[in-house]
Amino acid sequence: MFRVLLRAATPVFLATLAFASNADAHCFVGQRFLPATLATDDPCVADEMSIPTVSWTKTADVPPANSLDVSVDFAKRITEDFGVTLRENWSHVSQPGSPPRSGFNDFESTFQYQLLKDGPHELALLLGLIVDWGGTGATNAGFGTSFSVLTPTFYFGKGFGELPDTIALARPFAVTGQVGYQIPSSSFDLVAGTPIPQNLVYGGSLQYSMPYLKSSVVDYGLPDFINHLIPLVEAQFTTPAANNFGNSFVTTGTIQPGVIWVGNYFQVGVEAVIPVNGQSGSAIGVMGQVHLYLDDIFPTTVGQPLLGKSTSPTRLPFGG
Amino acid sequence: MRTRMIIAMVPSLLFGAASADAHAFLDHANPRVGNAVRTAPREVTLWFTQDLEPAFSTVAVTDAAGARVDSGKASVGPGDRKVLHIGVKSLAPGTYKVSWRVLSVDTHTTEGTFSFRVGE
Repeated sequence: MFRVLLRAATPVFLATLAFASNADAHCFVGQRFLPATLATDDPCVADEMSIPTVSWTKTADVPPANSLDVSVDFAKRITEDFGVTLRENWSHVSQPGSPPRSGFNDFESTFQYQLLKDGPHELALLLGLIVDWGGTGATNAGFGTSFSVLTPTFYFGKGFGELPDTIALARPFAVTGQVGYQIPSSSFDLVAGTPIPQNLVYGGSLQYSMPYLKSSVVDYGLPDFINHLIPLVEAQFTTPAANNFGNSFVTTGTIQPGVIWVGNYFQVGVEAVIPVNGQSGSAIGVMGQVHLYLDDIFPTTVGQPLLGKSTSPTRLPFGG
Repeated sequence: MRTRMIIAMVPSLLFGAASADAHAFLDHANPRVGNAVRTAPREVTLWFTQDLEPAFSTVAVTDAAGARVDSGKASVGPGDRKVLHIGVKSLAPGTYKVSWRVLSVDTHTTEGTFSFRVGE
């Protein structure tokens, strides 16, 4: 029974690993601010912390299990363009007919390098390597694995601020995305007795920034609370790509509509978690996050890169 | 053990940041962002969410042809370091673009543009 559960949970678990680094971003690109999204990552290195991210979902198991996940992310810039994110996730799963299980997932670290920040075009590109350290989680409870997983990942973000005046109300839109490829350190799971697949993991967000609308397009005099909101839809998918003998080749994933409230020092987000098919979950779940901007809370200490300072202010391109 | 460590970090992060400052966002402006005014303004005023460093904070106003129509000298305050002003020449009816770039007192730089219309 346990092996069946473990086998069924493996694709979902690997997908979780791929999208786990969601703490990385106080992300300004020109006049565009891309918030830290809940399920996927934004395309910037930064000094930030998600404390916590909480999600409740109903798994695709038969019978379905309730899964509660609580995670903490800490993102730190080492240099202006290179950052590391550390992540720990705790899970609690209760399934009818089985004793509840709890435990930590494998510890995860993500190394990211900022390839590009093009302010005038509101474009950001980022390269990353997500490392899930095998053997560091509650393997016996099914929350960790004996093998590690490396996931080289490419991230991007693009604002629509260059749209013409005739469709100026569309300028607050922005998209972010990421594509990664999971490479397990072992090709065969001795516990489950199955090959460990290599997966293509991808996802992104479509977002509409009310702060951008107010400060860059048109100020309608809306209530202050509304002007701090960024409604968005996130999506994340996992498609088995190789070494998947005996496992399902079905793409799993979730669509996550929600909203983020953005403040000066932190943001709060909440999203519905809608499974895209029966293999991805059995009911609509919910995800919430409190995310702290460490570079604003501790601007001269924790909010600075470990090596070197942030780019010094320069004289402005226009006088005054 | 790890849970206790994580819980112990929360209060210091939430309450240990004395006198912190943040990125300066544009809160509102006069003339209002994207709006029209009947009479030409004598100056453009921008209100930000944080105090500004005057030496590194400025604004430019250009007409539809890209020509500068401001006085060339922006100023912060007086009295309120969240406010940035710049005088403008006599503005004919038309659309004008405001480009700003400011440094908040905690050394974060932000920038932005918006337009307003005179007349109509």
